[in-house]
Amino acid sequence: MTKEQSYYPERVKRAAHMLFFKRGRVPGARSWELKTGLGKEYPKVLAQLDEALKDLDLEVKKVESQTLSDFKPGPDGEEEMRYFVRLKGTLTPKEARMTGWRIDNLAALAACMSLIVSKQGKSERKELEQIIGEKVGRWRALTLTDAFLRSGYLEEDEEGLMKIGWRTRAELDLESLMMLIAESKPKGAIVEEEPGEVSDSAETLEVEGPAETVEAELEDQASTEG
Amino acid sequence: MAEKTGRVSGRRELEELIQTCVSIENRQFNPFLLDISEALRIIRRHAGNWKTLGDNLLDMRAITSLARVVGLQSANLRFQSSSLFVDPGMVKQKVESMSREQLAGFLLLSWHPIVELEQLTEASTKEALDYWQKMLSFFERRKRLQPGPFDSPGAMDTPELARLKVLEEKAFGRRLEELRREMKEKVGEEGRIDYWTFVRASNFAATVLRAQMVSFLVSYGMAMLERKKEKMWLIPRDPPFSTGQGSPLSLPIPIPMEAVVPRAK
Repeated sequence: MTKEQSYYPERVKRAAHMLFFKRGRVPGARSWELKTGLGKEYPKVLAQLDEALKDLDLEVKKVESQTLSDFKPGPDGEEEMRYFVRLKGTLTPKEARMTGWRIDNLAALAACMSLIVSKQGKSERKELEQIIGEKVGRWRALTLTDAFLRSGYLEEDEEGLMKIGWRTRAELDLESLMMLIAESKPKGAIVEEEPGEVSDSAETLEVEGPAETVEAELEDQASTEG
Repeated sequence: MAEKTGRVSGRRELEELIQTCVSIENRQFNPFLLDISEALRIIRRHAGNWKTLGDNLLDMRAITSLARVVGLQSANLRFQSSSLFVDPGMVKQKVESMSREQLAGFLLLSWHPIVELEQLTEASTKEALDYWQKMLSFFERRKRLQPGPFDSPGAMDTPELARLKVLEEKAFGRRLEELRREMKEKVGEEGRIDYWTFVRASNFAATVLRAQMVSFLVSYGMAMLERKKEKMWLIPRDPPFSTGQGSPLSLPIPIPMEAVVPRAK
C-alpha cells in the first residue's frame, strides 16, 4: 500500500464529518472548505466517500455555484461549488411520513416546483399561493410558501419573484418531476375506446408503475390521517 | 409646437414600452409577445428629438429594457429546447386536475433529501449570545409594565396560602366526610333532605362548590340521590361505604342563579 493511499481512510472520515454535520445555515460544505480540510485532491476523497456511501443508499451531490445564489465566492476567487450528502434512491410514503412531511406539504411542493420550472425558474408569489391554495386551502398555502422559503426550496429575488432555491437544486430531480407531471393522467380519467373495439381490460392484469404504487400507499396514508 | 407635441407623444410611447418590458420581466407576459423590431423602430423614430438629460435617460432605459427582453427570449428558446420545457398553462391544468396523493407521489419519486445532522453551530450560538446580551434585565423589563414598587420576598403561612387558593385547607376526603355529617345532622327524622335546601349557599360560587362535593358523595356511595317528579332528595348513608353503592347513573343538574337568590336576599 502506497503512502498516498494510506491517507485516504482518514481523509474520507474527515470528509464525512464535514458533509454530515451542519456548521452553518446551509448543510454540506463548500469546495474551498473541503480543499482546506482535505487537501487539493479532495475530489478524489469525495469520490471514495461516495463509493463508501453507496451501500447505505446515500451519495455525494455536487451543486454548482450559478444555481446557488446565496453562496459567496471562495477566498481565492475560484469557482464555488457546494457538496452535500443526499439520499441516492427515494423515500417511500411511510418513510416520508417519518420525516415529518405531510401529504399536503409534498403535494404543495410538487405543484410549486412544476409551476416555477414551467415558467423558466421564476414566478409571482401570488400565482404560487393560488396554485397551492387550490390543493391545501388559502391559509395553509400562505404558511407553506413561507416554510418553503425558510427551508431553501424557494428563494425570493430583489423584484419579489419566487425562484428555485438551493435546496431544490440539491434535492429534487426536476426533469423527472416534470416528466411525471406531463405524463400524468387525472384521477378517474375515462379512457375512450375505439367504437367496435372489444375491451379486454377485465381480462388483462394491469401492471403498476412506481408512481401508481406510491399513490396507492399515499392514499392509504391519507385515509388513516383522516 | 409640433416638435413639442412629438416629444410628449414620444415620451409616452417609450414609457409604455418600458412598462411592457417590466411586465415581461415579471413573468406576466410571454417575451415573444413583444415585437422587437417594431420597438426598435419606435426608439429610433424619437431618438433625434431628445434634447434634455431626462429624455436621453428615458431613451437609455427603453433600450436596456428591450435588451433584457431579448435576453429573456434567448433564455426562453434555450429552455424550450431543453427537456424541462412544459407549457405553464398545461402544467396548471395538470396540477389542478391531480389529487394531492398523486402530486405527493410524483414528488417522492423525484426527491432525494439531503442528510444533515442538526447541532449547535457557531452561528446559532453567536445569535443566542447576542440575544442574551441585548436582553434587558428583569428589573428593566418590569419597569415598562409599571407594576409599582417591588415587594421584597417574605414568608407565608398555610392559612394564607389556602386563602389565596394555592393550597387546599383540608384534605379532600375529610371535606367529603364533613359534608356527609352535615347532611346527616340536617336530615332529621325524615331521613332525607331536599337537594336544593342542602346545596344552596350564600353565593353562587359556594353553591357550585357544594353541588360538586355532593356529586362526589353520591358517586362514592356516601349518599343517595332520589328523584321524584320535580323534587330531588338527598339521603346520607352510614359507613362502610363502597363505590359499588354509588349511583351508576349520571344526572346532570343545572344550577340556575335563581337557586341561590332566595338565601342571598
